[in-house]
Amino acid sequence: MRELRIRTPLQALLLALVLGYAGILLLAPMVAITQGALGSGLGKLIEALLTPDVIDAFELTFLLAFGAVIINTIAGIALAWVLVRHNFPGKNVVNALVDAPFSFSPVIIGYALILLFGRNGWLQPANFQIAFAWPGMLLATIFVSLPFVTREVQPVLADLTREQEEAAFTLGASRWRTFRRIILPQIWSGLLYGIVLTFARSVGEFGAVAVVGGSIERQTETATVFVFRAMDDRNLIGAYGVSVTLGLLSIAILVVMSLLRRRPAR
Amino acid sequence: MSILVDNVSKSYQTKTHLSVVRNLTLEVLTGELFVLVGASGSGKSTLLRLIAGLVNVDQGRIWLHGRDVTDLPVQQRNTGFVFQNYSLFRHMTVAENIAFALSIRQVSRQERERRTDELLNLIGLDGYGDRMPSELSGGQQQRVALARALAHEPEVLLLDEPFGALDAKIRVQLRQTLREIQQRLNLTTILVTHDQDEAFELADRIGIIEQGNLLEIGVPSALYRRPQDRFTATFLGSANMLNGERNGNKVYLNYQHEQVTLKAPPNTEHLSGRQVDIFSRPEEIELALTPDGIRGQLIGTGIVQSATFAGPLERVLVQLSAPGKDSPDPITLQVVLTADEAREKGINPGQQVWVGLKDFHLLARTES
Repeated sequence: MRELRIRTPLQALLLALVLGYAGILLLAPMVAITQGALGSGLGKLIEALLTPDVIDAFELTFLLAFGAVIINTIAGIALAWVLVRHNFPGKNVVNALVDAPFSFSPVIIGYALILLFGRNGWLQPANFQIAFAWPGMLLATIFVSLPFVTREVQPVLADLTREQEEAAFTLGASRWRTFRRIILPQIWSGLLYGIVLTFARSVGEFGAVAVVGGSIERQTETATVFVFRAMDDRNLIGAYGVSVTLGLLSIAILVVMSLLRRRPAR
Repeated sequence: MSILVDNVSKSYQTKTHLSVVRNLTLEVLTGELFVLVGASGSGKSTLLRLIAGLVNVDQGRIWLHGRDVTDLPVQQRNTGFVFQNYSLFRHMTVAENIAFALSIRQVSRQERERRTDELLNLIGLDGYGDRMPSELSGGQQQRVALARALAHEPEVLLLDEPFGALDAKIRVQLRQTLREIQQRLNLTTILVTHDQDEAFELADRIGIIEQGNLLEIGVPSALYRRPQDRFTATFLGSANMLNGERNGNKVYLNYQHEQVTLKAPPNTEHLSGRQVDIFSRPEEIELALTPDGIRGQLIGTGIVQSATFAGPLERVLVQLSAPGKDSPDPITLQVVLTADEAREKGINPGQQVWVGLKDFHLLARTES
């Protein structure tokens, strides 16, 4: 990296402007919600965080996030594998579609899921409710967090030569064992990074789960949806408290991610 | 018979080209080092992969030590395979790489360590067990790949251009190592290469493969001096080819409206009455400043086009000329002289020389 040397006052001013802009943009919201949360004292904050609404919201949030992580890890590896190792007509289209969740508005995804699984929806099963219930919300979460594992694993997998697998086969290893002992250890750090991103995206999702879940209190209300309602209800301490908790979680995730990135590749 | 490839055919599209093996039959003897030589895309690597079971045959059978393995998966064929680009497991240490096949076979840890040390010693890398592959040179990595392929005591060893990614000096060293190890273990081995020097140095027998067909098999010296196939002749080193016709005990060499009569070499009676290629290696051609200086069979005169220094040798190009006639399509011969010979005889560019054949061989002319 090139070392920055400040020579003129103008350079110093510009530097201060850039850093100030980034600092205010990133730190100010964090400071604001922390201040808001602690404004009425720590006791009130803890009390607000222990209400059944909040506990239920966090339970559902983590349930959805873990569900999305498990499914997107398996499906994401499979998808990356197919895109790297196989040639088929339409491969480029599939590859481009993996990024669709980045460009689609989550609200539209939520609405589309209601059309598919709501009352009279094309795919609505007879005795199992999907829209306005957690299964629909899980589908929405899976959709919005789909690209991360695939996109993190894809380049690492492309770096592995097919010959390492073939070598393992000739040495007697089955396909599964070759995957477990040769491939998985080498894609591990990329995979882990993808999993952390999937988790972060899932916890933070609002639009898609709010729409498909219908924001039903203590039933289909995630942490982010709770914050939205709490503000509407003038329950500011609750809104601030949950926001701070989510913010701290995000910081923890950032720390984990930077640790993963710094891990030397063997 | 250790390896028997019986009338095997395979055709498949790889990333870069269509790979084909056509009705190929090959027998490799126990303990033999067989070298399969061919250009890239000739099907030589495909044949190796067919034997290992990395690809399946379209037709034909493959036998290893009397066992029909055609329908067995790669894991059960018990072959050792060495790839051109080492293909070591990059996340494992050298020792873990070597012991991989043993851990798959659930060999005890003690035995694994013993065997790993033994193999490290065999490849001359004692004490390197704890290193990562990335800490080794290319040559060392390929030694480890060899040890890894030997750990489970395979019935046959298959090497796919194993020295292709290494520089010349290392390549020569590794060839010796490989030959020693192969002989010590009396291991039936097929090595694939496009490098004729490698083939000559290593092979008990050589097979020439071209466009999926096995053209010719023989011991190196025979294939070099007395090839039966034009492709073999030109592929295994430089070759001079002259048009001729064999009749009675004579060979009539035709060039530039002249006809030179030569004595037919032995064992070429079957070519009698046929158009032939008179085939001579560069070192089998003599040059002299006077006709008396030619000890073999004189074929005419020529002009030295160039003389290139090549260490102990001098590579000379001579354009054959018939006295008093200018040909629109002159014949140029490649000649190799020892540096001493060239100096003593005073062979210099532009000079007129007498040309003779110390030795030559006849090939049936195929219509092309």
